Amino acid sequence: MTTNNKRVALVIGAGSVKCAAALGLWRALERAGIGLDMVVGCSGGSLYASVMALGYDLDTCARLTRELWTPAITKKRATRQILGALFPGLFGFDGKFGMVDDTAMWDALSGPYGGKRFEDAKIPLHIVTTDLHTGEKVVLSSGPVQDAIRASIAIPYIWRPWKVGERWLMDGCMSDPLPVDVAIREGANVILAMGFESPYPRKLRNGSRYAFHVNSVYTNNLLRANFAFHNLAHHAEIITVLPEFNRNIGLFDTDQIPYVMEEGERATEQHLPYLEKLLAGAA
Amino acid sequence: MDVTVEPRGAATVVRLVGSVDGITAGPLEARLLEQVQGGAVKLVGDLSGVAYTSSAGLRALLATLKATRSQGGDFRLAGVQPAVLKVLELSGFTSILKHYPDVDAAVQSFGS
Repeated sequence: MTTNNKRVALVIGAGSVKCAAALGLWRALERAGIGLDMVVGCSGGSLYASVMALGYDLDTCARLTRELWTPAITKKRATRQILGALFPGLFGFDGKFGMVDDTAMWDALSGPYGGKRFEDAKIPLHIVTTDLHTGEKVVLSSGPVQDAIRASIAIPYIWRPWKVGERWLMDGCMSDPLPVDVAIREGANVILAMGFESPYPRKLRNGSRYAFHVNSVYTNNLLRANFAFHNLAHHAEIITVLPEFNRNIGLFDTDQIPYVMEEGERATEQHLPYLEKLLAGAA
Repeated sequence: MDVTVEPRGAATVVRLVGSVDGITAGPLEARLLEQVQGGAVKLVGDLSGVAYTSSAGLRALLATLKATRSQGGDFRLAGVQPAVLKVLELSGFTSILKHYPDVDAAVQSFGS
């Protein structure tokens, strides 16, 4: 927890299953006796930030997210929406689009997050989303957690944006893939930033892969641009934790979660000597 | 953090050993700017002995870069370790600052 007036934040950026590395980071911090004063999550990172903040223990966090994020949540096509996008005159198009029916995903989210509110969190929690209509970053810090996560993981073209209050929100990755600025604004002065660049597929075999690839080009460049600015423009100390994966981690490779956690833990251990000195007041 | 300074050809090589982070950034920046103020505006930062950096360390490097360029010189890096290079890449440093595999190449880049 707060040490020597330093407020420690963990920021988990977009990265689907790779975000499970944050659980490894958490394990390393727990072993070192270092607590967190806030957790910020974006897109896939919001799944992990939320389970951690809501007070589940580490093993439960790993299990819940493994059970939740499976290929089953993308099985059913949103046929009506696809037809509406292709033939708006015939089927109507309401300005929101996703190729995949979100019923299974919503049901899966209700397991760990159903009925939970930000106000219930043991560690202050912030989830980053993007306003569909203005492109503005929208940080959710109160209200139902399940809705916030649903909005934050609304990957363009895959899942429809989600309405929270009066706004239609989509993937936080579209405005801020690694939102360290949220932690700075909330008063953190030591920020552990765990971010992931989206991998590029070797072959663009179909239209959805192409759309995904173009998305990744945008968001990877956005990640670098935002991160560069925040690293250099603020007084806060940003410690960049970058796990190394020597194997491909696909969107739904939840069987790789133990490995991903190990790499997250290993990457964090390299930072512990400095972090411990920093929190002891050496700077 | 150990800092040693050595004139090499047209450049001045500053060899850094240790971490470039929030604990060392202040004294490091002061030492580097002292070199620049003393006329060493073609500066090579030998980072082969640096295995760790954080945002405070990056800001010290950026301040040095700005100081050398404002006086018509440059601050170039040499021997950057892979873990540090990843942070430099993600932070946009590699697009604004030149880096070389070793000190010789960095010194040569300044010409004679």
